[in-house]
Amino acid sequence: MDINILKEMFPVLLKAGIMTMELTIISVILGTFIGVITALLKLSKNKLIATVAGFYTWLFRGTPMLLQLFFIYYGLPFVGLEFTPFQAALIGLSLNSGAYMGEIIRGGILSVDKGQFEACKSLGFTYLNTMKRVVLPQTFKIIIPSVGNEFITMLKDTSLVSTIAMVEIMRSAQLLYASSFRPLEPFFIAACFYLLMTTIFTTVFSYYEKRLSVY
Amino acid sequence: MYMIETKNLTKRFGSLTVFEDLDVTVKKGEVLVIIGPSGSGKSTFLRCLNHLEIPDGGEVFIEGEKLNVRNKKHMRNTIEKVGMVFQNFNLFHHMTVLQNVIEAPITVKHEAKQEVLKRAEGIIEKVGLSEKLDNYPSKLSGGQKQRVAIARSLAMRPDIMLFDEPTSSLDPELVGEVLGVMKNLAKEGMTMVVVTHEMGFAKEVADRVMFMDGGKIVEEGTPEQFFTAPKERRTKEFLNIIS
Repeated sequence: MDINILKEMFPVLLKAGIMTMELTIISVILGTFIGVITALLKLSKNKLIATVAGFYTWLFRGTPMLLQLFFIYYGLPFVGLEFTPFQAALIGLSLNSGAYMGEIIRGGILSVDKGQFEACKSLGFTYLNTMKRVVLPQTFKIIIPSVGNEFITMLKDTSLVSTIAMVEIMRSAQLLYASSFRPLEPFFIAACFYLLMTTIFTTVFSYYEKRLSVY
Repeated sequence: MYMIETKNLTKRFGSLTVFEDLDVTVKKGEVLVIIGPSGSGKSTFLRCLNHLEIPDGGEVFIEGEKLNVRNKKHMRNTIEKVGMVFQNFNLFHHMTVLQNVIEAPITVKHEAKQEVLKRAEGIIEKVGLSEKLDNYPSKLSGGQKQRVAIARSLAMRPDIMLFDEPTSSLDPELVGEVLGVMKNLAKEGMTMVVVTHEMGFAKEVADRVMFMDGGKIVEEGTPEQFFTAPKERRTKEFLNIIS
């Protein structure tokens, strides 16, 4: 490895690393949002609604993310839906993350003590308030370890969007390798960035886990 | 008008009939204690009164208002007047004592936080937990948890309180503090329906004792009459076993 080449490549990969971070955070946030809704719909007493939500998780957990991204970026233009690489990447990542988060959150809600629902009911809570004020806050404590896991998986899976012309860290490293014929330096820096980012996420999540363990 | 009135109240679990055609009334300020062996349907009956269990037949009236499963809003508004205390406390784990108590008035009744806070502190003092305001339930003893649960219900200013075996999951030495709070409530004129195995409490506080067995009301009467001169054979047997 040549230290000068490392120095030269670092700024380019740093910029791409920020894009990776951006993609991860936005898609996990959107995914959480989709996940909460999916979980509530899947738990709905209305069979049709529950089936539709079930179909969504079945579809997105049952096919490879790479295929989903190809479908959105290369396939959908044929039915008139065209996206920039960034849009396609966000849609694919969020929908995929939403399907997994939905299952994590659903499991979390199911493991909240039934007595909590009864207490809310006896106090006159509406269903939405029961969820918002009592059940979901307790769900988050239960699911934090799994969500942390999902976050890290997501971060690494963003590398797949390099295949739809999205320049993030993996794509950037590939381009540097192709133009310089030096594979070691760009992939080494990329690996360091991934490790740095997963370490940051792990630290943040274990901080929250500790903070929520006061009750 | 009765505070609580049931007409032909019926509950089944699948093919098992828990009870059938129960007619019970509770007057304002009355303390009704329901006793009976486990499986007699007494807890299920209590849970039907605020529709935690939806009855399969018959009607429940709370202060003259019929509970109607199809009119959810009306039912919620009616149930607000009925506080409930559970065997397992069911405190909100993620909230402190104070937060537990102020939650429902703010979220359900949309009362101003300042007002609720003032009232809540008074209520918490009444159940003797002023030092525990900022503690989470996990840091409290069973007796303290149950007193918070009572305070949480009282914060909604209910007209009726239901108690579902409030001391059954407590260590024996903690039962007294919870019963003490309940006695005070009864003295203040709260209308109460209590399912319990605490015969001492029934003797001392109840206006009326009801003995249930096999989904039937076997016998009811004043505590004196009930404990000293029970009429039914089944009642005598039960009283013999527990005393």
